[in-house]
Amino acid sequence: MPGTPLRILIADDTPTNVKQLEVLVRRAGHTPLLAADGRMAVALFRDQAPDLVFMDIMMPGMDGISAVREIRALPTDKWTPIIFYSALDRMQDIVRGLEAGGDDYVVKPASIQLLQAKINAYARLLATQRREQSYIEELRNWRQDAEEQTRLGAHVMTRLTDMAGLRDPMLRHFNLPADTFSGDLLCAARGPGDVLNVMLADAAGHGLSAALTAMPLTQAFYSMTAKGFPLSSIAEELNRKLKAILPADRFVAATLASVDVRNQTVEVWNGGNPDALFFSSDGEVVLEWASAHPPLGILPPPVFSATTETAVCHEPGDLLLCSDGLVEAEDPAGRWFTLDGVRRSFAGVSDHESRFDSLRQSLEAHLAGQAARDDVSGMLVSVPIERRRQVRFTAPAPQYQGRVAEWRLELTYSAQELRYIDVVPGVLGFMAQVEALRPHQGTLFLIVSELFNNALDHGLLNLDSRIKGMVGGFELYMQHRSERLAELREGRITLAFLVHDDEGEALLDVDVSDSGPGFDHASLLRDEPLAGADTRPHGRGIALVRGLCREVHYFGTGNRVRARYRL
Amino acid sequence: MQIASEATGSRAVLSLNGRFDFHSHRDFRGAYEQILDAQGVREIEINFSGVDYLDSSALGMLLLLREKAEGMGKSVQLSGLQGTVKQVLEIANFGKLFAVKD
Repeated sequence: MPGTPLRILIADDTPTNVKQLEVLVRRAGHTPLLAADGRMAVALFRDQAPDLVFMDIMMPGMDGISAVREIRALPTDKWTPIIFYSALDRMQDIVRGLEAGGDDYVVKPASIQLLQAKINAYARLLATQRREQSYIEELRNWRQDAEEQTRLGAHVMTRLTDMAGLRDPMLRHFNLPADTFSGDLLCAARGPGDVLNVMLADAAGHGLSAALTAMPLTQAFYSMTAKGFPLSSIAEELNRKLKAILPADRFVAATLASVDVRNQTVEVWNGGNPDALFFSSDGEVVLEWASAHPPLGILPPPVFSATTETAVCHEPGDLLLCSDGLVEAEDPAGRWFTLDGVRRSFAGVSDHESRFDSLRQSLEAHLAGQAARDDVSGMLVSVPIERRRQVRFTAPAPQYQGRVAEWRLELTYSAQELRYIDVVPGVLGFMAQVEALRPHQGTLFLIVSELFNNALDHGLLNLDSRIKGMVGGFELYMQHRSERLAELREGRITLAFLVHDDEGEALLDVDVSDSGPGFDHASLLRDEPLAGADTRPHGRGIALVRGLCREVHYFGTGNRVRARYRL
Repeated sequence: MQIASEATGSRAVLSLNGRFDFHSHRDFRGAYEQILDAQGVREIEINFSGVDYLDSSALGMLLLLREKAEGMGKSVQLSGLQGTVKQVLEIANFGKLFAVKD
């Protein structure tokens, strides 16, 4: 016997008819439910919810037609076929039965074979219907699960991605998801030297899977930025991470930028995103960074290129990063917004806030109420120019009370390590463990970077800062630096740190020496203009250190310097 | 998207036509798997001259093909790049990952 057993309601007032059907039903493996009149049939139907009904018409009390009308009026979420089984054989009886809500009509007396075949046919029909019902149920459950996951995902994602750094006064951003989730990820944070790092990442596809793909980037971006790692090291780490985690067909296009107001530089790594553009106040695109690399997560670390491009900003303006969703956003006629759309929206608008608002409005007008097909995101970073270039950084006030415990650290790096190690973030990592130094992380980062970079650039690489003052000089300087560093085979730099107590004052001595020939430090100190009035493109670094420290001393030929800082 | 596949000797050409996006997943995989399985084929050329749009999941499919082909010692070449398609592949710097035929 195929299929699930059915419960079959038999309503008939003649015992022999009931018997005939009951035997048949039992033999086919189903369960009979018996009613002797219409009233009882309705009651049984309501209580037992049978799968199939055989209904006589002429019965005492309530007849079959009325019973079926009442049954059909009952609230139900499933279909129960009703077969009239009656001796009335005129056409109008049959029509009346079907119109009352019957599905079938068999005239009495019918052969056992016919009744048997009817029961089997309805059993098959009901089995099909049940299967469909269970698919619908399954689908409904899937949908509920998916909605629940989406809700949870959106909540977690919002918490993970809405970082305080995005509310930096120097930037405005927007992220319009094509789905519940955006596969575009925006991050921003200040490094210890006050440099602003931003990232706009666009994971392939959209929705939850894209958001999941981009997720691993946040933590690495924020922690490496906080520790002061250079942009190239961050790009390298993000790629390494994604390559290790993602399958071959998933990747993340990303633009990373580092905006250094103090040095007036913008450094960019763009892999797979539209051009990053720098707009001057009069609306001209004065700098652009086209995608120079494949997106993150594709190339294995040995062939990945973390080369960034740094440009000097000679005038104030706004840096725009965006995802391809902005470029490809379609108007109702299918035309793309394009980067020209961005340019047009900036026409005649020169301040940062109004530019951002104008861009949003132009995009909205372009979309004309339609939802974008892809995630659309953009970030506008305002880059001011500080003509006077005063030292913006102020050290925290000395705060150490009582006697400080002595702490000493000395590290020596040879040429081999200097070629590939990020020395300053590594050293700062050690220093962050010392309680007395912790509140001074930002200041110490500046002091150590400045002294270390001087030792490396001038002591070992023999670079001349004066070329920075020429047109295109900064770029040339950076190029020489990376070439000479790659060729560096000899030399070493030693960094020594000493926390000590000097008559109740907690002090840190930062001692940096290199194996180079030194320089004419006496003339540097002699020529140094007053802090705040310095407009030279070089030599400002050491002035900054002197501003932050109690004293700075050069020793011997000038290849050793000691900065004394009050904690 | 329609895909025409043609193999002569050690070289097979998949000519794509239409919109190459997320929905082309099954068709594209079916087409390249057949070619990868063919014994004599060493070089696979993907011809984009009939493609008018390419999205990021299409780029993912190309990367997947590249990985599988490399694993079998076969090479993948892109040809017929024009318009938007060329632009998308250039922005993604796929020229650094695939041989491109002019």
